[in-house]
Amino acid sequence: MDQPVAREPTIVLEHVYKRYRTGGGVSDLSLSVGPGEVFGFLGPNGAGKTTVIRLLLDLIRPNAGRIAVFGLDSRLASLQIRHRLGYLPGELSLYERFTARGILTHFAHLRGGPPWPAIASLAEQMDLELDRPLRTMSKGNRQKVGLVAAFMGDPQLLLLDEPTSGLDPLVQQQVHQEVMRAATEGRTVFLSSHVLSEVGEVADRVGLIRDGRLVAVERVAELQHRALHQVDATFTSAAEARGFETLPGVSNFKSTGADLHLEVAGSLRPVVERLAQTDLIDLSIREPTLEELFLAFYEQDNG
Amino acid sequence: MAEPHQSLRSIYERALREEQRALIGWATGLAVFSVVMLAIFPTISGNESFSKLLEAYPESLRKLFDVTDYTTGPGYLRSEVFSFMAPLLVAIFAIIWGSDLVAGEEDRGTIDALLSNPVSRRRFVVEKWAALVSGVLLLSAMLELTLGLLGPAFKLHIGWAPLSAAVLGLALVAISCGSIAFAIGAATGSRALARGIGAALAVASYLLSSLPSLVSWLRPVRPVSLWYHALGTDPLVTGFHMGHLGVDLLITLLAVLVAVVAFERRDLAV
Repeated sequence: MDQPVAREPTIVLEHVYKRYRTGGGVSDLSLSVGPGEVFGFLGPNGAGKTTVIRLLLDLIRPNAGRIAVFGLDSRLASLQIRHRLGYLPGELSLYERFTARGILTHFAHLRGGPPWPAIASLAEQMDLELDRPLRTMSKGNRQKVGLVAAFMGDPQLLLLDEPTSGLDPLVQQQVHQEVMRAATEGRTVFLSSHVLSEVGEVADRVGLIRDGRLVAVERVAELQHRALHQVDATFTSAAEARGFETLPGVSNFKSTGADLHLEVAGSLRPVVERLAQTDLIDLSIREPTLEELFLAFYEQDNG
Repeated sequence: MAEPHQSLRSIYERALREEQRALIGWATGLAVFSVVMLAIFPTISGNESFSKLLEAYPESLRKLFDVTDYTTGPGYLRSEVFSFMAPLLVAIFAIIWGSDLVAGEEDRGTIDALLSNPVSRRRFVVEKWAALVSGVLLLSAMLELTLGLLGPAFKLHIGWAPLSAAVLGLALVAISCGSIAFAIGAATGSRALARGIGAALAVASYLLSSLPSLVSWLRPVRPVSLWYHALGTDPLVTGFHMGHLGVDLLITLLAVLVAVVAFERRDLAV
């Protein structure tokens, strides 16, 4: 009964504008995220990531444009939408005088749902102490309370604003696992970050937002496919370094004596096959980080 | 200290639990204030020199501070407890808390996580307001019980009916002023503005209720005072006045309506 009809997109934004009196916001933003997709929303602080998430939650309303979640109007059907999503705020603030257990039972009651044992086991996975008041907790532990609140009840849509900030690497890994699990179960994840490497690790697609405008949306796999591999090789003689510049995908060819540098777009096979025929002393092939890739790609597309 | 297995349900329950310590403090303060007032009474009741002293005051002053029949139980309570001090204390409590109930969650940023749960904004506002009313009623009950139960020990005898009428008036002053502060907080998100307007309103209300006994030309504007409708009718002596109480009740409900509508329409915590 809860099956999505004809796999309609989980999130649709069409020409959304939101301006604040104090400046900032988003302009003419259009985006669609499908069910089971992990979408990474990337941009510097203040670029409009949080604005988009708060628009989806109906905490703020757009000046213009259409926003639909699960095919429902974000404003008119906000309650139905919120029944099916979990949210972790970027600047998480919870009730300081209560314990984690107090806050989680409160939210569970308001969600009308998830049974306590399921919540407790989530908390245990994250090694969260339930009976300490929030005000005595470290930033990382507070973040865990927020994460358990977002993940509890396995919502169909997860909105995670900078989910791993302040977490140690072990817990970061657990968050990534939760995100992957959600995606394999056909649930949708919309996560924001200012670190691409993090987003790239879990996301299917990445969107880059700058000054309130969505400047690029790319599949992570596509980005990786377009990766320019940096190849550096040293041969026994300068003669061996010839014949590379004409191979498919090769650019930035430089050859000084017996040393060779080049970049390869797409498949590495032709270059590797040619290398195999040479008398090689040293070889390094480096894949650029997603960060470098994305920025290079973005600058390319914008002339 | 947190209880070992704290669990929380509704927003209403959380609001009261968050205010628990303040409520205990205010209730204790009111009880102490009442006991002190009661303890002074035996030295005043039936003390002729005291009556003479008061008679020597200009009539205008006696009217302003409501000190007619000062030496009888009800007259004493009216001027020492219900004319100014106790209603003002409870109203201050209601204004401080009312201005914080909605606007405070925005200020502290807790509203984002809270309202990502399937809770309508209307339900949020109504539960918060219900907590405010419960808090005021709790303090009012404390005052009534202290005066009613301990009064006889200090030779101050007062019936439960007139006492209840006065306490109800006092509660209504606090609830109406607190609800207006609450509504301003919900409509604007500004605690300071809500507190300021609420406090100004309470003071103006008090002055408009008591000054006309001195300044007769102020008499026609008296009906705009929330305080006048709740306590200006002297409920301790004359009992309930449904029409007057109804005016304050109506204004209170109007404030809640404004709070709900304004809160539903605006952007939160920007």
